Amino acid sequence: MRFRFCGDLDCPDWVLAEISTLAKISSVKMKLLCAQVLKDLLGDGIDYDKVTKLTADAKFESGDIKASVAVLSFIFSSAAKHDVDSESLSSELQQLGLPKEHTTGLCKSYEDKHSALQGKLRETSLRLGRLEAVSWRVDYTLSSSELREVNEPMIQLKLQTHGAESASTETTVVSVSADKLRVLLAELKQAQTRMNALQ
Amino acid sequence: MCLVSELLSCCCSGLYRLFRMLLVLSEDHKEHLSFLPKVDAAVVGEFGRIALEFLRRGSSPKIYEGAARKLCVPVEMVQHGVEGLMYLMTESSKHMISEEDFLDSVLVLGFGEDLNQTLLQLYLQHHNQIRSILRQLPSSLPAYHNLEWRLDVQLASRPIRQQVVPMLTMRLLLTGGGDLSRKVLQTDPSTLLHLISTLEAALAAIKTNHARRIFRNIK
Repeated sequence: MRFRFCGDLDCPDWVLAEISTLAKISSVKMKLLCAQVLKDLLGDGIDYDKVTKLTADAKFESGDIKASVAVLSFIFSSAAKHDVDSESLSSELQQLGLPKEHTTGLCKSYEDKHSALQGKLRETSLRLGRLEAVSWRVDYTLSSSELREVNEPMIQLKLQTHGAESASTETTVVSVSADKLRVLLAELKQAQTRMNALQ
Repeated sequence: MCLVSELLSCCCSGLYRLFRMLLVLSEDHKEHLSFLPKVDAAVVGEFGRIALEFLRRGSSPKIYEGAARKLCVPVEMVQHGVEGLMYLMTESSKHMISEEDFLDSVLVLGFGEDLNQTLLQLYLQHHNQIRSILRQLPSSLPAYHNLEWRLDVQLASRPIRQQVVPMLTMRLLLTGGGDLSRKVLQTDPSTLLHLISTLEAALAAIKTNHARRIFRNIK
């Protein structure tokens, strides 16, 4: 059986198993649990005390609590990843055995946060060497050990990047002469026009 | 330290005990352990605890100095005693020797019955833990942790405009000895297909008859 929300692949066995765990809590509590999981996926952190209280009625053990959070995270992030609309998600989840009220609640939460979720996933996509800050300074060289009167402007450029291979910020400082800077600016402007043409 | 293994068979009950392993302790080792009978049983237990902490987290000279001061003996004697005890425990756990073999191996040290029993209890209580610590030691190869990827199309570059070059960029995260290392890789579609078919062939190798025969025979 191929499911769109699993990327046109079979549904993993653990998801199937934990959907039956989810059916044990009431649909109202399910909707609140979905809200907590969505908060976590959007980067606002999850409140485990609230989750424990929500699942206390159904007498979930700690393994069951972790499993329900994991299966909801999987369903939401996988459905957002493959850009599944909420009707298809609803029918697929009901095929897997999630009761109708639970499915309706889940899909309503999904639809509300669909674009926010996709935005967050877009942000966390792989980026190498992200440019974080640029600062510059113009100096005027008066004289040097080689030549008595130099009289030339010089730019100091400081680029702060988030490293590609290391996880830390790297700083690069370059000094650029006026001509080189004009060439750099012209090339970057051409690249920018190209980028704007694609938007 | 070397092993002596003998073949024993017990005919009358029809049982065959095949392997008997005795630890043979070197002279230095015996000398280090000779400190143990001179202190009382509580101290031996304490040394056992220090020896296990040594395995888990490494030793610290302060512990040895503290113990040496309390017992009024030189620091090296304490250190050798603890290290000897630790070595005895790890070698016994490594070879998974039985109770009788352990008792027979320490008999040669000439300790009293109580001390032998204390050592045996220490061994029995902790040998599983020691084995799991030892299992984690040879972590030589980095292991797969995560793979992030991105599919891009290069449209233009400084020398050439109007291009269409698809590229897959990957970041492979590996764990090796506790910390994460990252490797950035880039590939074009045909190399990617080759990579996929090679990895699938590797997975298929697990399902061959040869591999299955070997897995069946490993307990």
